[in-house]
Amino acid sequence: MAENKSMRDGIKRRDFLKVLGVSGAGATLTGCSTEKVERLLPYVVAPDDITPGVSTWYTTVCDGCSAQCGMWVRTREGRAIKVEGNPNHPVSEGGLCAKGHATLQHLYHPDRFSGPMIREGGELQQVTWEAAESLLAARLGSTARAMLISGRMGPSLDALVDEFVEAIGGVRVGYDAVSDAPLAEAVRIAYGTAGLPRYDLENARYLLSFGNDFIETGSSPVAHNKGLARMSSVDAVGSKGRFVYLGPRLSLTGLNADKWIPIRPGSEAAVALAMAAVIAGDDSAAAGPYSNVLQAYTPQAAAQVSGVTEDAIFELAESFAAEAPSLALGPGVGAHHRGATAANIAVMILNHVAGNVGRTVFYDAAVNAATSSYADMEAAISAMGSGQVEVVMIHGANPAYSMPPQAGFTEAFAQVPFKVSFASAEDETSAMADLILPDRHFLEAWGDSSPLAGVTSIQQPVMQPVPHFESKQTGDVLLAVANRLSGEAVGATFYEYLRGRHQSTYDEVDGDFEDAWRELLRIGVADTRREGSDAPELQPSDVALSFGVPTLDAPGDLTLLVYPSPRFGAGEFSNSPWLQELPDPVSKIVWHSWLEMNPDTAETRGIREGDIVTVRSPHGSLEVPVWLYPGIREDVVALAMGGGHTAMGRYADGKGVNALTLIPSASEQPSGVLVTTATSVTVTATGEHRRLASIEGSSDQHDRLIAPAVALADLGRAGGDVHEEDTHGELKELQGVGGFVPVPAEEGAPTAFPLEGSRHGIYADAHEGPRWAMAIDLDKCTGCSACVTACQAENNVPWVGEAQILMGRDMNWVRIERFYEQVDATQAGDLDVRFLPMICQHCGNAPCETVCPVFATYHTPEGLNAQVYNRCVGTRYCANNCPYKVRVFNWYRYTDEIPEPLNWQWNPDVTVRDNGVMEKCSFCVQRIREVENRAALEGGREVRDHEVVPACEQSCPAEAIVFGNIRDPSTRVSQISSSERTYRVLEDLNTQPAVNYLKKVTFHEVAAGVHE
Amino acid sequence: MRKYWLIGGLASLLALTAALAFSQGGLQEVPAGDNEAESEYPSGQPIAFPHDQHAGGQPGQNNMDCQYCHYSAERSVDAGIPSVSSCWGCHQVVPGGNAPEEVAKIQGYVQRGEPIPWVRIYKVSDHVHFPHMRHLNAGLECQLCHGEVQEVQVLNRRDPVWGGDNMGWCVECHRQPDDTGKPQASTDCTVCHY
Repeated sequence: MAENKSMRDGIKRRDFLKVLGVSGAGATLTGCSTEKVERLLPYVVAPDDITPGVSTWYTTVCDGCSAQCGMWVRTREGRAIKVEGNPNHPVSEGGLCAKGHATLQHLYHPDRFSGPMIREGGELQQVTWEAAESLLAARLGSTARAMLISGRMGPSLDALVDEFVEAIGGVRVGYDAVSDAPLAEAVRIAYGTAGLPRYDLENARYLLSFGNDFIETGSSPVAHNKGLARMSSVDAVGSKGRFVYLGPRLSLTGLNADKWIPIRPGSEAAVALAMAAVIAGDDSAAAGPYSNVLQAYTPQAAAQVSGVTEDAIFELAESFAAEAPSLALGPGVGAHHRGATAANIAVMILNHVAGNVGRTVFYDAAVNAATSSYADMEAAISAMGSGQVEVVMIHGANPAYSMPPQAGFTEAFAQVPFKVSFASAEDETSAMADLILPDRHFLEAWGDSSPLAGVTSIQQPVMQPVPHFESKQTGDVLLAVANRLSGEAVGATFYEYLRGRHQSTYDEVDGDFEDAWRELLRIGVADTRREGSDAPELQPSDVALSFGVPTLDAPGDLTLLVYPSPRFGAGEFSNSPWLQELPDPVSKIVWHSWLEMNPDTAETRGIREGDIVTVRSPHGSLEVPVWLYPGIREDVVALAMGGGHTAMGRYADGKGVNALTLIPSASEQPSGVLVTTATSVTVTATGEHRRLASIEGSSDQHDRLIAPAVALADLGRAGGDVHEEDTHGELKELQGVGGFVPVPAEEGAPTAFPLEGSRHGIYADAHEGPRWAMAIDLDKCTGCSACVTACQAENNVPWVGEAQILMGRDMNWVRIERFYEQVDATQAGDLDVRFLPMICQHCGNAPCETVCPVFATYHTPEGLNAQVYNRCVGTRYCANNCPYKVRVFNWYRYTDEIPEPLNWQWNPDVTVRDNGVMEKCSFCVQRIREVENRAALEGGREVRDHEVVPACEQSCPAEAIVFGNIRDPSTRVSQISSSERTYRVLEDLNTQPAVNYLKKVTFHEVAAGVHE
Repeated sequence: MRKYWLIGGLASLLALTAALAFSQGGLQEVPAGDNEAESEYPSGQPIAFPHDQHAGGQPGQNNMDCQYCHYSAERSVDAGIPSVSSCWGCHQVVPGGNAPEEVAKIQGYVQRGEPIPWVRIYKVSDHVHFPHMRHLNAGLECQLCHGEVQEVQVLNRRDPVWGGDNMGWCVECHRQPDDTGKPQASTDCTVCHY
């Protein structure tokens, strides 16, 4: 562990001083110098497109998940140091999620394979690519019983793999640990089209999610996050869309809902069909061939199975029909029970009846997200287990971890005589392989993507391969092996293959291909989508469907939900220390797993938070600490995927538990997806207890209105819900005994910002330049935490590990607060959970500045609360005096523990901090300086609005953060900050923050400063 | 504070293709004298590069502009050091009358495709950001900070005028009044320290 070594260092230093104290008197230290020779290594031939000290940007495509968001990669002197969303890309529009940022750590990950390896005598031995490829060719040449198991890949590699498998006479099996197969199957059954539906979230006025966690997992989290934020935030005319979540557990997506209807797991179909029946009314043909199904589902019947009242379902149906266009989303990847396909069809019927098809949902085969069938894998396992397979090749998948142990993959795989892995870094599957052919990371390799029909992006290498790893692109390996097998040169490189494919489909009337290709690489995307409106008819089902509540293994009192983690997916991201240290957006826990349990359930069983319990299902058992969560039904417990790795690497192994050990290897029919909501469990206390590694201070605002809200009906009546007399009870008491007296708020305070001159700070302010400030719209923020990781990547923020977190020493500069205001798991009702990204507030009257004995923190004329690292002596007075708890301290030289080559990612524009130094959000001052330098070179022009974009704003999928010069009334930040919803956190302390928050807008009445 | 990131030290594209040079991509911190047979100059410079011969204005000297070799000083925070091919561009026809054996060393680096491991003389601390282009565009001469480099034969140590990590020296200049009587450059900490 990181901290152990640092502590040893600390002891060594003290020992050294002791020794010096004893012998120092007589000793003369001569020739002792800390001077080191640094070498300046010039280029041998200087590349044209690199100016030292100036960033070079390349476009590419994120390969983190099926969404395939467009990326801009910032390189310096040939190294990728930061990834950002490509604003030109129609999927992500400039946003990027935390996982997208973390892909950079996989590029430089020390656990990547150092080169091709062959297992000899049980040990992996590094060999040359020549030897490795000839071995594979020899094995494939001598058998026709080969199998290639692959996860999601770009269209060109996919085509090449198909050709390759056909040439060797093998079979190909697709496998995605998390797949939207039930949705794809439902679309096929109900409408006869392929692919996933396309949604227009942004223009829906009423959004209903049946356990679909679309902003965190699923087919396109960033796009859907953006859509939700646009749809559900209040617009210029004071209107906003309503979002209702139905499901047994509030995911991150669910926490953003305006209303929660906590239905029983598996009852989505009943509720959706009952709603459709209410909306259809007397129209007996409204649902086409499914009209007769509707008759069986009355709100009364649905109420019985779902556990919510008949009235609630009626009300829901009426609003869904009235607030058009509406949109309902069926159970997603976190809610795959044994009736998932039927439930998705039920939701499609609901959308159909409500007239949403062709308005907010489109079945035009436009979404190319691949879905695979778990059932295919089950067949592959039985083939491997019965000795029918001689050679297995695995690419982009880790089934030894991501399939339930019940599936028997590990046992069957072990029986295959020759196992080949293309994994670029170690994982549970490649640990068993006989031959390892490490693929390149996507930032070093060629590829392509087509997330939507008509949208093409090229994934281009942004740097030379990281030299620590002798990797080779799988496409090139397959071509080389094919050459050896055929004895002739069929193609040179994968790049030529890929480019040839694009050239062959290119229409020369649009101009020269060479120009188009270059432009495609420069912009990052070619968008030839055509607007199509369709209103297809429902088709009768060709399979038997049951809309009833599916069965669970071992009927018991607690249903187990197993869901993909917003941070780790199905575990493929677990070896990233950034993501391990990113607080889970829902639980705020880092580095370990937890069992989510309703506080009432826990109380009746005498379980407290942090108690370690045994969770037992018919399929397995595990021990895990309990986290009490009011956002989960009392009869349900939940576990996230992604924990309990055994051979994935130093940051993943042994962290948490693998939830899949509890569920059976069962596939849903007819889609063949893995059933994750499959079993009941018993939970018993072990008697042991641990403190959760959580960064959460409090889920309760304690009446301090840190994140206030305003009811939609109250908008336009200035002031919102701030009723002074109701708030700040403790403060009133203090004042009553002659204590703290705040400076009286100015008349119409929200619009009086910024105050002029020195009144706005404790320093004389004769500066005429910009005054930097930020506006964060809490009505848009979804708590997704992309900004946290973006900041960590940009600012060289280290990770500290679980033991340090337990001591409260987390280092992140951004903290997403999550406050429960109204959460009721027992009945349908208004939901009010508030997220607030807390960063340094850059106070005009900063409490930290006045207590620093060495002026290491002070206010700059531009309004920044500066932290001068080389001046800081580490008294930590500033952190003690900061009411926002945003200052973090380097207790150790954490960056020393970062192994080569992970440190290659460091941003050269930001100082790497030493131990004993305080740090905090700098408003990305390095980006301000970079833009100022550029403006100075361009004739000394003014810095334009929106030219300085901090890492958090750049990344934010919800577009909640805006940064700029608030002295200029025309800037975006000025205009947004003049909203009537603007407030500043704890502003009655007279700190005069430069961060303006905009209150969340709720549909329900907001009880000021009081809550349950 | 350490930034392993090179400011001016660069891995070349050619070097990048050669596996050997990969490991030298970053700024190297090696004890003095660790590098083979290069201790014949006090600083361990691999080649006795005479700044005076190149940039000096005396008869027989070449009076080259500093930025002919330090090519990015006007447009980047980093001044840049010339690529090996840039040296060789002239020296394949200029044998170097004074010290042909030194010039011949360049040829060796070119043939081996290796970067010349110059010893870094001028360096601000890692917590200081010095944008070369801002200073050049303000009309400052290189010599103001680097001293009369064009008169120095082999650059083995910093010019004492600058004094290394002497912030007072920087600030004094920043404080000088401009035409309007205000300081000519900001003395705010975060202008350089972040």
